[in-house]
Amino acid sequence: MLWLLPVLPLALAPAIWRLGSRRSRSDLGRAAAVVLAGTAALAVWAAAARPSAGYRWGAGITLRLTVDGPAAVMAVLVATVGLVVVAYAAAHEAERALPRLVATLVAFVGAMELLVLAGDVLTLLIGWELVGGCSWALIAHEWRLAAKPAAAAHAFLVTRVGDLGLFAAVGAAFAATGSVAYGSLSALEGGWLHLFVAGVVLAAAAKSAQVPFSPWLFSAMEGPTSVSALLHAAAMVAAGAYALVRLHPVLDGVEWFGPVVIGIGLATAVAGGIVASVQSDAKKLLAASTSAQFGLMFLAVGAGYPAAALAHLTTHAAMKAGLFLAAGIAIEAVGGAQLGRMGLGRVLPSVASASAVVALALAAVPPLGAAWSKEQIAAAAGHRAPWLAVGVAVAGGLSAWYAARFQLLAFGPPRAAEPTVERRPQESWCLSPPSAVDRPAGGQLATPRRWSEAGRPPRRVAPKAEDTSLLRVERSAVALTALASLALGLLWWPGAEEVVVGIAGPLAPAGAWETALSLVLVAMAVGGALAAYRRGTLLGRSSARVADWFGIPAATRIAVADPAIALAAALARFDDAVLGAPARTAAGAGRRLSRRLAAGDDRIVDAGVRATARAGQRLARFGASVTERGFDGVVGGIAGVVSRAGRDSRRLHTGRAHQYYVVATAGALVLIALAVAGR
Amino acid sequence: MLTAAIVVPLLGAVAMVATRRLDDRVARLVALAVSAVPLLLLAVAWFRFDRGSRALFQLTEEAPWIPTLGAGWRVGVDGISLAVASMSAVVFCAAVAYPVDTRGRGRQYYGWLLFLEAVSLGLFLTTDLLVFYVFFDLSLVGMYFLIARWGHGDARLSALKFFLYTLAGSLVMLLGILGLYLETDPLTFDMATIIQTQPLAGNGVRAGMVLLALVVGLAVKTPLVPVHTWLPPAHVDAPGPVSAVLAGVLLKMGTYGLVRIPLSMLAGTFARWAWLIAVVATVSVVYGALVGLGQTNLKARIAYTSINHMGYTVLGIAVAGAAAADHPDARSLALTGATVEMVAHGLITGALFLLAGSFWSRTEDYDLGHYGGLAGPARGLALTTTVAAFASLGLPGLAGFVAEVQIFIGAFAVYPVAAGIALLGLLVTAALFLQMLQRLFFGELPPERRSFPDLRVPELATVGALLTLVVVIGVYPRWLLDLVEVSSRLLTGGG
Repeated sequence: MLWLLPVLPLALAPAIWRLGSRRSRSDLGRAAAVVLAGTAALAVWAAAARPSAGYRWGAGITLRLTVDGPAAVMAVLVATVGLVVVAYAAAHEAERALPRLVATLVAFVGAMELLVLAGDVLTLLIGWELVGGCSWALIAHEWRLAAKPAAAAHAFLVTRVGDLGLFAAVGAAFAATGSVAYGSLSALEGGWLHLFVAGVVLAAAAKSAQVPFSPWLFSAMEGPTSVSALLHAAAMVAAGAYALVRLHPVLDGVEWFGPVVIGIGLATAVAGGIVASVQSDAKKLLAASTSAQFGLMFLAVGAGYPAAALAHLTTHAAMKAGLFLAAGIAIEAVGGAQLGRMGLGRVLPSVASASAVVALALAAVPPLGAAWSKEQIAAAAGHRAPWLAVGVAVAGGLSAWYAARFQLLAFGPPRAAEPTVERRPQESWCLSPPSAVDRPAGGQLATPRRWSEAGRPPRRVAPKAEDTSLLRVERSAVALTALASLALGLLWWPGAEEVVVGIAGPLAPAGAWETALSLVLVAMAVGGALAAYRRGTLLGRSSARVADWFGIPAATRIAVADPAIALAAALARFDDAVLGAPARTAAGAGRRLSRRLAAGDDRIVDAGVRATARAGQRLARFGASVTERGFDGVVGGIAGVVSRAGRDSRRLHTGRAHQYYVVATAGALVLIALAVAGR
Repeated sequence: MLTAAIVVPLLGAVAMVATRRLDDRVARLVALAVSAVPLLLLAVAWFRFDRGSRALFQLTEEAPWIPTLGAGWRVGVDGISLAVASMSAVVFCAAVAYPVDTRGRGRQYYGWLLFLEAVSLGLFLTTDLLVFYVFFDLSLVGMYFLIARWGHGDARLSALKFFLYTLAGSLVMLLGILGLYLETDPLTFDMATIIQTQPLAGNGVRAGMVLLALVVGLAVKTPLVPVHTWLPPAHVDAPGPVSAVLAGVLLKMGTYGLVRIPLSMLAGTFARWAWLIAVVATVSVVYGALVGLGQTNLKARIAYTSINHMGYTVLGIAVAGAAAADHPDARSLALTGATVEMVAHGLITGALFLLAGSFWSRTEDYDLGHYGGLAGPARGLALTTTVAAFASLGLPGLAGFVAEVQIFIGAFAVYPVAAGIALLGLLVTAALFLQMLQRLFFGELPPERRSFPDLRVPELATVGALLTLVVVIGVYPRWLLDLVEVSSRLLTGGG
């Protein structure tokens, strides 16, 4: 029964694809929503009943699913965020190949559920890799534009570097304990434990886009916005932090785990914050912020408080899904992701206000839930070392700054200088007369969709009534995330802390000065952003290098990717020119020899015995090959040994050893006869 | 029954050659029917196979041949050979079913394919060393003619290169076989007896030389770096279905031979040198993948991934034969993984080469740079190639992962450093396949490829059948693993 939770979406995804190619957009959305609603219901059941399940893989391995506190939270989170995002995607995304997109998103949810519920490292690895495969398909969705599959490959390969760590971890677990189950991991010790922890940390850092792997999330931005929403909120990126939370008791067994993970987390939180603060691309700003927020979660786990990380993972899921969905609407309205061209507060008031709530959550303004979880992380950091709490507060200040920056630039009222909007969008832009660009080949009114370059016209042209209902779905999805962010404010209520502790373990006692410091920094950042916005300098002039992850992508290209490609090309040449040479010479010589023999053959031998000569020719070719390729030395050596061996053996003296030569030649003769017959 | 699985395609081949006139289409249908017979027989063998038995070989059949030499017609199966033989029968069916331009000589083409099927199944099913050797060499003959006559490019030269190189390898192997044979008392080529008596146990130098000869001979066929250079030209110039057979079936003769002969019959000596074999395998994994990444020719690229995958297989075999008494589970797991890799690689690379054949039959061009955007006009081709590529790069839910993860789990317990280096192969194969998909199917469609036709029904059905098996093994590996595990536990000394 528990298996249904991951398998239901995975198995039904192909059916959704097929069905979607025949039916309308809303039918597609409905079908996907029903599947994911079922998944969500199963997740709630699993969270309540905490069942476990096994599946015999074979060869002595059993795949296990178990539900503990963090798994229960994540299972519900993944399914609900998936439901909201998929409904939005079915309503919002480009018409072309929409069924494939929706189906892959559904499969993505299933793969993530598998990862979440895994009760052993092999199942974790299976989910881990499947999530990566789905993300490739999703980022490469608009494959006609060459940059998209290239970005997808980049994202897949960078995260696969991390996956190798998980492969190693599985190997270490089995080598040390003879099992892959989480339950037996406590028996890990010595070198195997170090290898296991190193593997998991590598995998988690790559998946959660921590330094130095962060830039893959920028590549992932080539995917449709709904893909980003799911990827950042609950799937894929969340996997890294979740794995650390889930496996924390084992990982904490080596003393370097805490410092390393804290280092990775703090570096990413600060660096990501800076990148997001100078990015002028709406999606990339949010992407950098995701890395930074997951950096905070890493820091919390490293400090020994996975419960704080899990709480922040949950609040982050609600706000990041909301911001991406809102950004998707804004991007579509202005036809690009440049923040400088937005300023859509007046034209999209409902989206803007929902987004405002979510952005405040990202800024960690109380009484929103995200503020509570961030304070827990600050407390955890302070419990470890005071300077660490200062680091968290600085990272928090940066989040407040870029959250305010995103909200003001994307959804603020238009500033004194009019935003360079190509086409004045309106709240009901779908119903206004479409511009020429948006008019599909049929000429009939359709939902104007971003991906409208040359090619087939959209298969189906939506009627007006459906457009409004699609709009409603789209806006409701954004509003829901805002409501969720508000509802998570319940975390501030007394009593909530006990629930969190019950689910995921202890929290650090809040320190007064940490809270005060981080609140002051948040207030300063938001205030500063407002002031800069009034002056019109909020967008700023950003350094291209800083905005692109301090040049990490260029550096990896120069230091890793280009040398690897060059090495491959060089090896290919080497392989052909050097290693291939002896065989080529031998074959050429064999051919020449056979031609010469064939010539003599025709002159001397009459047709009746030609077959015999051909046999000789084959033998000659063979002999030539042996000589040419320098094998004669080896062959002779071995033959010598064998014959010496024969001399020693009793059987040689009985005179029966010659028989093996008969056998050997018999085989060769059969071969030759066939070769001749086949001519 | 197993004898029938060998004889029926052989009779079919003879009948094909003997008939005077046979329409190409009829020849194909007849050949398909004939090639399906061994598949059915092996399916029956699968059901009759007793998984509780501790016998080395089951369903054995025996007839005297040269009694004075101890050679005889012996056939039988264990879990490993049954798995590999069944996969081979599937690949042959697919190769026969795949439409190909036979240049008006369909009768001969299908005749040779059936001959090759008989020979290949004979090799996997026999339990007599001499018969093994004879089939090993006969397989070269069949493949030589298929490449030389129906290939393209400089097919004759490629075929000759293949023939000479692998024949030299088989001669070296013969020396090894004879060295082993001479130590049996009474003289016998019976595999079961040799495995039980381990004739060369404790015989230092001589055993080492015999092992060297056997491993070198089999490594040429596998192929392992640096004796692999016959493979790429043979693949590039062979017709698609023949490439599928070459990669899917003939390469397995090398790895299967490694399991059957050195690992089983020279267990002690193999254990002493297993580390060296693991090193060569690791080099093959990384080198094959990197050189594959450097190829711009579609078929050469797939060919080099074969070297990479056979590297994984040999790594698994080396781990299984290592002298690590405290890791029986890991070594058994590695051998099971290596066997599943043989099956998975046969199905996956078989499918990839068939698809490459579809490219050739449409454009006569393998240059990756001349394609792009084909996912538009050829959706079926794009989808099947993507599935096959992801299976080959080891995505879970597909057969390749099942094999590779078990090899790696086993390898980490015994040779953690080699395993760690070999992991890089997973990364590079991912890069090379994603780049390949990108260049073939995504981005802009070149104008001259506008009318590129999608897969036709027979092509889609054949590749679809192979990929279905890949998925089934990927999500429900138990039915295959349980079969293989019986033998890998036996061979690695576990319970």
